[in-house]
Amino acid sequence: MVYQVKLPAFEGPLDLLLHLIRVNEVDIYDIPIARITDEYFQYLALLEQLDLELAGEFLVMAATLVYIKSKTLLPADPSATEEPFEEDPRTPLVDMLLEYQRFRAAAETLSGREDQQRQFFFRSTPLEIPTREGPLEVNLFDLLTAFREVLERAKDQPVLEFLTRPVSTGERMVAILDRVATVEASVTFESLFPPEADRWLVIVTFLALLELLRQGSIRVRQQVDFGDIVVMRAVA
Amino acid sequence: MSQDHLAILEALLFASPDPLSVELLHVILGDVEREGIVRSLHSLQEAYEKNGSGLMIVQVAGGFRMSTRPDLHPWLGRLAKTRPTRLSRPALETLAIIAYRQPITKAEVESIRGVLVDGVLKTLMERDLIRVLGRKREVGRPLLYGTTRKFLEYFGFQDITELPSTQEIETLIPPRQDTQDTDETVRAEREDS
Repeated sequence: MVYQVKLPAFEGPLDLLLHLIRVNEVDIYDIPIARITDEYFQYLALLEQLDLELAGEFLVMAATLVYIKSKTLLPADPSATEEPFEEDPRTPLVDMLLEYQRFRAAAETLSGREDQQRQFFFRSTPLEIPTREGPLEVNLFDLLTAFREVLERAKDQPVLEFLTRPVSTGERMVAILDRVATVEASVTFESLFPPEADRWLVIVTFLALLELLRQGSIRVRQQVDFGDIVVMRAVA
Repeated sequence: MSQDHLAILEALLFASPDPLSVELLHVILGDVEREGIVRSLHSLQEAYEKNGSGLMIVQVAGGFRMSTRPDLHPWLGRLAKTRPTRLSRPALETLAIIAYRQPITKAEVESIRGVLVDGVLKTLMERDLIRVLGRKREVGRPLLYGTTRKFLEYFGFQDITELPSTQEIETLIPPRQDTQDTDETVRAEREDS
């Protein structure tokens, strides 16, 4: 006779611990650590028997449980009189469990909203509206040409170097995204390079712009030939 | 507000694949004030409701969009050939953590969930529900993640403040009996010893 056993799928060690706490009807603030540790190991053994690959996190948690158990078994250090109120060794674990439990509940509510929202149907592609003179998409060479102009300007800046931490591409990416925070907000290519910017800032800003383009976070457009290049946020 | 504006707004909502913000509508309509646009949108909303239309105008992610009525979903489900799959539990948990704690690094998400999240993050990025906000100023300069506008649309939020508060979430967790008491007893005992 073949029995089919259906095991609840656990998302990780915290999920499994919360399950054990619930089925054993114990208090999360007062976990009987020996009992829960035993059950935890029984479950790991079961997983091994079933030849399921054990994620490393489950073993890390096993070690943590054993550590807490050993701490609770040890008598308090009689010499440590200055600190009579020692922290419960379970506290960090309980805090983790509580926090994880909160987010698990938050995930539940998101899941509920997902179900609700799936009853609304929207248009997913734009109507095909023929455009006669739409904005021109800017190619890399247009960008490089514009960049050379900015770089020319930066050349005249007197260079006075201090050993400060230079601005990074990542920071400039964030700064650019802030400038075009909404779909409607757009800025000109020129305005991303303040006149006082030195060569370093100009280059880093340009790299940041290219990276954002590659990610598809922004778009660059040119309304007319040789006109201002406009940078805008890509529609999500 | 003239009839014409209503018609234009209706046509725009019909044509757009994205929610339209009042700002954008103001730019498109040109001479119509924002308040006027909001009024018109609301009267369109009412008109659809009153006429028993199969369509409705909903407010989401800071804009307005045209949608089918939710109670008609069984029929639309038959029409739609493919629909994006529901998010898995790991994806929802990860997304919840990012939504509440953004900007947040991968390592911080992992320490809350207790498992690695590389695969899940990739899926969420591909579905455009999260994005990179920048880098954290600490060793290794890890990437910081946050939710997108698509996230708001997907879950039907107007903006991120519409997420249920952590207190509201707290009430969803089944309460433990005498939780507080036990906690205090433990402390009391320790103080005695």
